[in-house]
Amino acid sequence: MRGAEVVVEGVGKAFGRISALREVSLKVAPGEAIAITGPSGSGKSTLLALIGGLEQPDSGEVLIDGRPLWHGRDLARERRELVGFVFQSHLLLGTLSARANVEVPLIGAGMHRAQRRARALELLDRVGLDERAEHVPAQLSGGERQRVAVARALANEPRLLLADEPTGALDSATSERVLDLLFELRDRLGMTMLVVSYDSAIGARADRTVTLVDGQIRSDGTSAPADGSPPSISRASDVGTQDRTGR
Amino acid sequence: MLSIIVTNLRRRPTRTVFTAAGIAVGVATIVALLAFTQGLRETAAGLVHLGGSDLGVFQANVSDPTASVLPQSMVGRLKQSAQVTEATPLLLMVEAVKGESAAIAFGADPEGFFSKSLVIVAGGRPGSQAGEVLVGDRLAARLKLRPGDRLGVQGRQLRVAGVYHAGIYFEDSGAVLSLGLAQSLTGRAGEETAVAVKLAPGTSTRAAASAIERDFPGTQTISEPDQALRAGANATLISKAILVIVVIAIIVGVIGVTNTMAMAIAERQAELGLLSTVGWSPVRVATLILGEGIAVSVIGAGAGLLVGVIGGDLLVKALGVSGYVTPSVTAWGLGRGLLVGVAIGVLGGIYPAWRVTRMTPLKALAGT
Repeated sequence: MRGAEVVVEGVGKAFGRISALREVSLKVAPGEAIAITGPSGSGKSTLLALIGGLEQPDSGEVLIDGRPLWHGRDLARERRELVGFVFQSHLLLGTLSARANVEVPLIGAGMHRAQRRARALELLDRVGLDERAEHVPAQLSGGERQRVAVARALANEPRLLLADEPTGALDSATSERVLDLLFELRDRLGMTMLVVSYDSAIGARADRTVTLVDGQIRSDGTSAPADGSPPSISRASDVGTQDRTGR
Repeated sequence: MLSIIVTNLRRRPTRTVFTAAGIAVGVATIVALLAFTQGLRETAAGLVHLGGSDLGVFQANVSDPTASVLPQSMVGRLKQSAQVTEATPLLLMVEAVKGESAAIAFGADPEGFFSKSLVIVAGGRPGSQAGEVLVGDRLAARLKLRPGDRLGVQGRQLRVAGVYHAGIYFEDSGAVLSLGLAQSLTGRAGEETAVAVKLAPGTSTRAAASAIERDFPGTQTISEPDQALRAGANATLISKAILVIVVIAIIVGVIGVTNTMAMAIAERQAELGLLSTVGWSPVRVATLILGEGIAVSVIGAGAGLLVGVIGGDLLVKALGVSGYVTPSVTAWGLGRGLLVGVAIGVLGGIYPAWRVTRMTPLKALAGT
């Protein structure tokens, strides 16, 4: 599977009188893992929502594989076939089992019941929860719930995984395991991944780290290498003009 | 999706039960009244064909066919009609039989086809002795009457000469006495309630009925059960009451379902936003909401059907008309009750479902 190419061109978004994003441009190569960081209210989650087709930009364009996302495309279908979402508050349906939660996107895709079930169990096995398949969220730990959410995000084999603070509600050990899972899946499946986080550990694992401040990209560069040398940082004006990962 | 609908309804069991109960009451009322009307229709069919007649002639524009008053003199004129082979006068006495207020006492000409068609199963026909009566086998069984016993009719004790079977519910649940005795007891000398008519073979009932109504202004002929129901203001009133109750049930049910589903949406915005986020189309999410509305309505309608069938009997007993009417539950009557239930679900779910389609996933996820 090839990851999706994401291009954000001069995107702006305001909620009432509050400007969440201003002239943001970003290019993400297929299979690239990007960490998006920045202080609270800097527009990280809004940027993710625009890329995922959850909200329409006021100005600018989001292009997925070269095609504008918000013009003439069936957004529900795009979300179903292209994107997988993981949220901080896992957003599992409390009355459904882990398996049934993973099946939810597959119901949206119109998959047959038996196929759905098999696929959900396969995904839960992949995230190490095959034995907890029939447990409801209340019977699972925080880390297990987030792993169910990851399995659900992968249900429709997305080419783009968007994770909004996936470890925000987890302790450090559990966060580490969830991140291991996300990056391992990215490596194995080849999908493009954008992760919004305050967690510096994600920046260290990602191919690039984009920092947003006040709705604008403050920096965009390769993440800090393991040897501790400073990361390569580019000016915001250069964003989207070149592929910095060499992919 | 069905499993999600069921799960969601079970999530708030009290609310689901109360909403369904509200719908059940409406549907039960409809089913009970439909069964009651159907029973009336079947009873009316018996009334129309008393004694094996083809049609009955009644006074026009009366509140109920039993309230009709005709002059006895018209029987002779009717018999002269080429289309009529036999005509016999009947005087119907309602609430006249002691101990069984629902039974009808028929004053009939002993020489007419109505009296002659009665099959005597015990005792014999009344003789020349005055003050005798025949009782139907149903009435005899109910009041434990045998030939020689006494039966109070219109305040007078009459001797039971025999027990008959006619095969018509009304007749078998009632009693027959001579027309003269009936006129004497009711103080209606020279009058009758109706004339039972047999037509010549090959005669069109409709044509004969039109001719009779033309030749005898102020009369109406009844040859079909529906005509009997339409002729009676009481039956018309019941039909209109059913319509009013159907409309009220739908309005109340729709408000209930709309309220329930609107509350569910308000509580579950994040969940519905999640469904959109994972790729459910707006139509599919709306279908889920609509499905929940229909499901709760069908549960209510199912309970309503059950209660309605039982309630039909209770209604008849409460009204004290079990002798006239036996509620008759038909598949179509149940189907109409179910249709009302589904209609409530669909109409009640439309607005909440539409609202869901207007939500953007991000705002829904934020629960705003």
